[in-house]
Amino acid sequence: MSEVALRGSEGSNSRVVGGAPQRTALRRWIADAPAAYLLLLPVLILFGFAVLYPLVQTIVLSLWDIKGLGKPKFIGLGNFVALVQDANFRQAATTTLLWTLCTTAISVGAGWGIALLCALAPRQTLVPRVIIFAAFGVSEAVIGYVWLQVYRGDTAGLLNAILSGAGLGNLAHAWLGDAKTAIWCLIAAYSWAQTGLPLLVIFAATQAISRNVLEAAYVDGATPMNMMRHIIAPLSMPGVRVALFINLLGSLRAFDTIYVLTGGGPVRSTETIGYFMFRESFTQFKLGYGAAATLILLAAVLIVSIPAILQRTKSTT
Amino acid sequence: MIGKSPRWIPYFTWLLAIVWVIPLVGIVVTSIRPESDTILGWWRLDHVELTLRAWFEVWGKYKLAEGFWVTLELAGVATLGTMILTPAAAYAFQFLRFPFRRTLLVIIINAFVLPAQVVVIPLFTLWRQMGLIDNVLAVLIPYVGLSFAWSIYLVKNFLEDFPRELVEASRIDGCGAIRSFLYVVLPNSLSPIFAVGILQFLFCWNSLLIPLLFMRTQLPLPVVFAQISGMYDANWDLRAVAAIVTTSVPLLVFLIFQRQFAGGSVATSGSKE
Repeated sequence: MSEVALRGSEGSNSRVVGGAPQRTALRRWIADAPAAYLLLLPVLILFGFAVLYPLVQTIVLSLWDIKGLGKPKFIGLGNFVALVQDANFRQAATTTLLWTLCTTAISVGAGWGIALLCALAPRQTLVPRVIIFAAFGVSEAVIGYVWLQVYRGDTAGLLNAILSGAGLGNLAHAWLGDAKTAIWCLIAAYSWAQTGLPLLVIFAATQAISRNVLEAAYVDGATPMNMMRHIIAPLSMPGVRVALFINLLGSLRAFDTIYVLTGGGPVRSTETIGYFMFRESFTQFKLGYGAAATLILLAAVLIVSIPAILQRTKSTT
Repeated sequence: MIGKSPRWIPYFTWLLAIVWVIPLVGIVVTSIRPESDTILGWWRLDHVELTLRAWFEVWGKYKLAEGFWVTLELAGVATLGTMILTPAAAYAFQFLRFPFRRTLLVIIINAFVLPAQVVVIPLFTLWRQMGLIDNVLAVLIPYVGLSFAWSIYLVKNFLEDFPRELVEASRIDGCGAIRSFLYVVLPNSLSPIFAVGILQFLFCWNSLLIPLLFMRTQLPLPVVFAQISGMYDANWDLRAVAAIVTTSVPLLVFLIFQRQFAGGSVATSGSKE
């Protein structure tokens, strides 16, 4: 070990070598390279296979017209032009927007509200918190089935039973068979499942509030509701931001619940772009077309993620 | 909480939690009542009889047992893969110097925003060319490869607070880069490695899209379940059992390790607040 590859000891080394600071800098830069690449090799190979290659290849595929096993034809931006003209895709884009905004707003809003209430009585609300959080731990595919039981069109559907119990029996119908109601049913089911995470994250943020601040407010005569309004709610904002971002990303990439609950139907009314690409590429085998749709989804994801990406890149050394 | 909090808050949250859990209760109740009794609704009490018939019958009717082992195998191997490979990479990024270190790091840790949808089409064509469709590798490679985006970030975040002096001392005492990782850093960073393992296990167990597209015969539970849970299938009791079997393991793991899960989700989202 003549070359101890340590940052601290390099200073004296370069003085001994003298007159060759540039070579020392270079040597320092690559000092650990063999070991580092050895440790990283499997990661880089797998990451390349699973992420880098598919990412580049999605862009390439989106420029080709590929139908089934037929010969691919290069069509430039043709797929994107076709997408814009495709009424189904336009509907999927609208659905994605509605779906993403509603599920995120409802789940984060509900989680935030519950977290603030629980912050006023943390100990007594532990069990209900865990119960609500548990819904978030259920497999997404299973969530679809759980809610299928609620939305069933026959008398065994919980929603219909509640409506007829409340004297609104004339409203009862096959909720998932109706293109007007199916998307709202999906939004409700998914929001129900996704509320757990905002609840947990925002509640954690409220527990991080310094006791001194709350004590000072108490001494000054603030009621619990005052504290919630003027101290706890504003100081929970970091948690709200994190939860908003996580749930936005989750909603954009949602697939499982839609697949099980409605399969995109009826008449493609519950297809988001994340589902549209699956249908085009894997049931119609239009791989290039699906790839182009995926890139539009990716663009939406990237726009939502810009703050997180910047923050990550900046804070990582 | 300082001061007296309003009495109604615990009552209200309890009420909310009870309403919240009703759809899940419905599944459990449906699974232990004869189907003829629940035809008018699982909550009806006009004829109460409990039976485990569905719990016994379901195994012959659907490929649940096989699916269970496939899921366990896939999720287990993928989890081990991530747990073994991630710490080495995180260590290299945190403590070693080499060309393109920061570039590689920034690319990897920002890939966490990618939806699975972005990678499945090219992977499908690639696996088809390589004859890997229906091979466990077709699923394991994306499981493990996609996990690095968040797992390396999580472990590296932990290593940022790791005492640098320890690593440097071991290097001065003659450890090479790899030995210093194996003997100094690795034994002291087991907690983030296990947190990564728990998250990865949950993600892989619940994964639907990737095995749905790449597997044909060895199907994991979410795929088996999605196939039998179509809207117009009968057998509500059997399917309720299948739902419980599918989600039991991840739900249990999730509830036991909820703290790690929350911390992990936040870390994977890219914010340290």
